[in-house]
Amino acid sequence: MDNKYIDKMFSEMDKDLAKRGMSRRDAMKLAGISGAGMFMGGVTSASADDANTTVKSNAKGKIVIVGGGLAGMSTAARLTLNLSNPDITVIEPQELSVSYQPGQTLVGGGIWDEDDIAYKRDDFVPDGVKVVKEKAILFNPQENKLTTDKGTVISYDYLILATGLHLDFERIKGLEEAGRAMSAGDNEKLLKALGDDGICSIYTAKGSTKTWEQMQKFIAKAKSASPDKKIQFVFTHPSTPVKCGGAPKKIMYLTNARLKEADARENAELTFYPNGGAMFGVPEYHDAILGQFKRENFKWHYRHNLIEVDKEKKIAVFDAKWQEKGPWDPVLKDYEVIPKHEKVRVPYDFLHITPPQLAPREIAESDLGSAKGWVPVNKETLQHIRYENVFSLGDVAQVPMGKTGGSVRKQYKVLVDNLIALMNGKKLEAKYAGYTVCPLITDIGTVMLAEFDWTVKPTPLLPLDPTVERWMWWLMKVHALKPMTMYGMLSGRA
Amino acid sequence: MKKIVLSMLLASLGLVAAEGTVPYKSGLLLKPQADKIYEKECTHCHGKDGKATSFAGSSRVSYAVIAGMDTAAVAKELKEYRGGEKSNDYRLHNKYGYGSIMRSATKDLSWEEIDAVAKYVNGLK
Repeated sequence: MDNKYIDKMFSEMDKDLAKRGMSRRDAMKLAGISGAGMFMGGVTSASADDANTTVKSNAKGKIVIVGGGLAGMSTAARLTLNLSNPDITVIEPQELSVSYQPGQTLVGGGIWDEDDIAYKRDDFVPDGVKVVKEKAILFNPQENKLTTDKGTVISYDYLILATGLHLDFERIKGLEEAGRAMSAGDNEKLLKALGDDGICSIYTAKGSTKTWEQMQKFIAKAKSASPDKKIQFVFTHPSTPVKCGGAPKKIMYLTNARLKEADARENAELTFYPNGGAMFGVPEYHDAILGQFKRENFKWHYRHNLIEVDKEKKIAVFDAKWQEKGPWDPVLKDYEVIPKHEKVRVPYDFLHITPPQLAPREIAESDLGSAKGWVPVNKETLQHIRYENVFSLGDVAQVPMGKTGGSVRKQYKVLVDNLIALMNGKKLEAKYAGYTVCPLITDIGTVMLAEFDWTVKPTPLLPLDPTVERWMWWLMKVHALKPMTMYGMLSGRA
Repeated sequence: MKKIVLSMLLASLGLVAAEGTVPYKSGLLLKPQADKIYEKECTHCHGKDGKATSFAGSSRVSYAVIAGMDTAAVAKELKEYRGGEKSNDYRLHNKYGYGSIMRSATKDLSWEEIDAVAKYVNGLK
């Protein structure tokens, strides 16, 4: 990792600290940490164990990586560090493929600009890695070949699928025109379809800028509204797996913070409509978030899935589900449970949509996709369950709770170790344990760092109560995670 | 089964043809290629020229010529087949009893692709 980026990060952080009349040393002391170890721990310890000390493998084989986002490029970089004769091709048509998606919440909340998260693919291609600027659309894993949209046929010995996922706005009735989208790109069609009257989504880079515009507009309306006729801010969470399960709530917390800042909070009502029946999969974090919701006077309705938006009338339609006690079943010797559902129509002023998300169709309908579309891999080794020379990571991999940058940070090292083991004819020993992290922004200036894994227990890095919202984690989210990702992970080291 | 479906799909799209041909499939966020979508989804019943009015060898089914139809009208109709009728709470659009078959032909198309196909149908002479 380049020192100049660390310096830049600290100088930005110092500015933030200076606003509170505090030095970095005081801040660290306050947080109970000495020095910069906490921020850089992951980076420095990881950089020690490769590049300089690791013996590079002489294993040979043509490796093709489909997708040049954070997962694909980090994997490419780490492979080049660990192979003496790397033969790596990345297939990626999108120029801004490595853009920093975790920053989209901060853009949506008006804390960062879009420029802060836009990064060019071509600036992050490791030395010696070939890039094909086309889109892989046909897969023939029986013959180890794939075909691009330009008709180029590419063969491989080893294939890594890191395509990311598609945002399925077109599934929502009334928004079909939006089509499907990926996070990066101009997404003009999508933004046009969402319109200019309160509907927004931070799930695309462009959309996050627009979210901030819409948010400001409706906060201004709240300012001139009154407590008996509140401006309705509605936030959704779909029935599919999503990238970063915390984002649908983070944007709600940031809206709340901006409303308070504008002195307009009492003229606004913030309501969360998740498809699920809890705030978070980990009970400890669920309880903490519920406490925050009550404290901030948010409303919420579980088991509501957004299925339709009437843009003209400004009504969001949800499919609401519940269960009722049915008739006595003489065989089971118990009452039946009857699932019920009905459409619930909710008027909104401001509507933040977390779109349904699915595997890209070219993957889902190929022999590499599962019935649900995602790439079925052994969740620990990340190897495909049918094709031993195929691996997958990131959003497209069928790995529980794995769709965050924090998961990729653990996955790509496991994948590289296992791929090289396979190339050398050895057993795949590296195992991913499901670690993921969600820096849940609960206000401007506070973050609850939700770290957990498949044990569904909090797995905090530091011996601090993981359910407490801390300014220290805000500093990390806003200042440290981006350089750690963009210059640590993408160089294959952290 | 999946393999059979896949190979049928490839065959029907002509994708296993000689190298150098550019493959296309709808729903992949590619720029719409109306001629290829039409060939895959529409030709079977409506004919290459959009003038067929029945299946070959069956006089019992019949339908109208679509060649040259108004672009906006075709687009509206296809979108209703795909996603239901907005004015009718998004229920299946079932004109002349062809609702199910038209839905299966359109369900994988984005609205952008439907617009392109509508234009293509309008241009059929």
